[in-house]
Amino acid sequence: MSKNPCAIIGIGQTQHKSRRWDVSLGGLVREAASRALEDARLTWADVDAVVLGKAPDLFEGVMKPELYLTDALGAAGKPMFRVHTAGSVGGTTGIVAAHLVETGIHRTVLAVAYQKQSEGNAQFALGSGKGASLGAGGAFAPYMRSYIHRTGAPLDVGPMVAVKDRQNALKNPYAHLKLADISLEKVKASQMMWDPIRYLESCPSSDGACAVVLTDEAGGLAAAADGRPPAWVLASAVRSEPSSFPGRDAVWSAGAADCAADVYRQAGITRPREQIDCAELYVPFSWYEPMWLEAHHIVGHGEGWKLTERGDTALGGAFPVNMSGGVLSTNPIGASGLLRFAEAALQVRGMAGEHQVDGARVALAQAYGASAQYFSMWLVGSSPDPFA
Amino acid sequence: MTTYVESTVRFPYKRSLGPVIGQFMTGLTEARLLGIRADDRVIVPPVEWDPETGEQLAHEFVEVGPAGTVRSWCWVEKPTTQHPLDRPFAFALIELDGASTGFLHAVDAGRREAMTTGMRVVPRWRTERRGHITDVEAFVPGDQPLPVERAEPAGEPVTMMTYDAEVHYLTPVTENETRVGQAAAEGRFLGLRCPRCARLYVGGKNDCPICAVALTPQDEVDLPQRGTITNYVIITPVQYPGQTETEPFARVHVLLDGVDVVLMFQPVVDLANDDVRPGVRVSAVWTPPDGTGRRALAGWRPTGEPDVDDPALVNRIH
Repeated sequence: MSKNPCAIIGIGQTQHKSRRWDVSLGGLVREAASRALEDARLTWADVDAVVLGKAPDLFEGVMKPELYLTDALGAAGKPMFRVHTAGSVGGTTGIVAAHLVETGIHRTVLAVAYQKQSEGNAQFALGSGKGASLGAGGAFAPYMRSYIHRTGAPLDVGPMVAVKDRQNALKNPYAHLKLADISLEKVKASQMMWDPIRYLESCPSSDGACAVVLTDEAGGLAAAADGRPPAWVLASAVRSEPSSFPGRDAVWSAGAADCAADVYRQAGITRPREQIDCAELYVPFSWYEPMWLEAHHIVGHGEGWKLTERGDTALGGAFPVNMSGGVLSTNPIGASGLLRFAEAALQVRGMAGEHQVDGARVALAQAYGASAQYFSMWLVGSSPDPFA
Repeated sequence: MTTYVESTVRFPYKRSLGPVIGQFMTGLTEARLLGIRADDRVIVPPVEWDPETGEQLAHEFVEVGPAGTVRSWCWVEKPTTQHPLDRPFAFALIELDGASTGFLHAVDAGRREAMTTGMRVVPRWRTERRGHITDVEAFVPGDQPLPVERAEPAGEPVTMMTYDAEVHYLTPVTENETRVGQAAAEGRFLGLRCPRCARLYVGGKNDCPICAVALTPQDEVDLPQRGTITNYVIITPVQYPGQTETEPFARVHVLLDGVDVVLMFQPVVDLANDDVRPGVRVSAVWTPPDGTGRRALAGWRPTGEPDVDDPALVNRIH
């Protein structure tokens, strides 16, 4: 199955904070989209279609936000798509936009994802408006306990991830949490929220948006000729599985493995750990770093925590993970997936500033959602054929 | 016959208004209606971006109205609690004098026959105004502005509003769910066994998710009321409107004896949070019959038997 090349030529994101009460909902998405267009040296008129992603409508109480935000995104009279795959939605939004270019349906597509958590309450929304909401941490705690049990991972690994990601966030001007004095001791002394997850091992609630401009081969080559390196989409895949069924393994899930296998196959990757330079994984709770390294077969089962413990996943390590500071530092839920996808693209464009991985040529991004049952991944490269 | 469960979800959402709608809402506190200039048009309520080109509009506000002309309307015969008036009224698109666009608001015309396209209307302002669209209680037929009881203006610009959302759901209950519910009312757990793969399900599933085969009353199995905790979570509750919990509470996964069924996130009875662990033997606790003789599962209570010593239990999540 052949597809047209797709290049990422523009990336924008908001300043992420607990409360962006200085802007309207439209103003929030506009801030990210304007920055992405500016980065791409394009105008609103150059955009052929807009793809919008966000988590459930109960978060802000705006139904059909794609209609409400049409003006803010300059989308009047253009195709406008809404994507909704729970927490993985930001990633899937990028993938749907890439498909529109790869299939030749549109030349230039704007992908935007957002969440304005301060307008509602995530625990309320995740509990379907009822009392005794488990929250995301409550829903995932049994999975993390099972992971720790089956791999024998030392209990310090979770806190290590929490420290590492917050240290990376100090290098990212857009990140929400800036915990300059973060330490293993502080993380371990913070309140146990959903055993084994402590307060400082959990993501914040953020207001924020992310936007990405994707275009065809000619657009990508033109940007490159102008001295603005694009990121090329090498592969992308989405998978989902039911939240519960007999025999489901929610730790090393079939959906996660299938999604990764599809991405590696499309890109011709056989040794992901060696052939990929860095990864942005959706880690809202600390233990998900080693869990996703294993579930997506970047390393073997039981090997993920060893990477973390050795410091390999630190910026400057052998396999950096969440250079941006990750979901643990910035979590506008609907945008969190696209932020991962955008950071991977920034890395291979060499435009990640202080959190740049030296010489990154191939980067992986992943997002997941709901009961760890929706997966989306893309692999981007500094050239369309980095393994040739 | 299909039966339904009714439920209502409510939440007081916040809205940060931004520089343009904030200005409009501030105008309302002063009993003024504002639009924004976009080339030769005046858009009401004002918008931040040109609806045709997407370009940002300069913040050139224009006072419009107060009178206007009804361009389109529909009659609301039976208002709900969420409607702006508690008696029959019209929703109308009102072109305020000086505006180029229709402004959606309520017209308190008394009866449907009083409504006509092209009729003139004026706003009836509330005395207490807070920077909300309901500061105009409704428009009323007429051409002459009503006297406004001037309350104190807000003083400071309006930047936020709350939006009390309420959604009423009617959820259909399937036959299997009804039968499982009836069994629970009698203090029984009903399972459904797939006729093809023999997997056992709880909760009144309609189909086997593995085989895509319909499950029918013929597939019903009575499940045991004893089991073992396999995994758990202690939840530190975050407060939100509608939250019922104030203290950390436990939810446990229970693997029922002799079958391959895990009940997820179950409440516990007479088991302290510190004592929750994989391996604890538990049995179901049912509430006493209510006025209609129906019981409900209250949770799971330790039986006092020795713990099950199986390190792999913790992996039994589904």
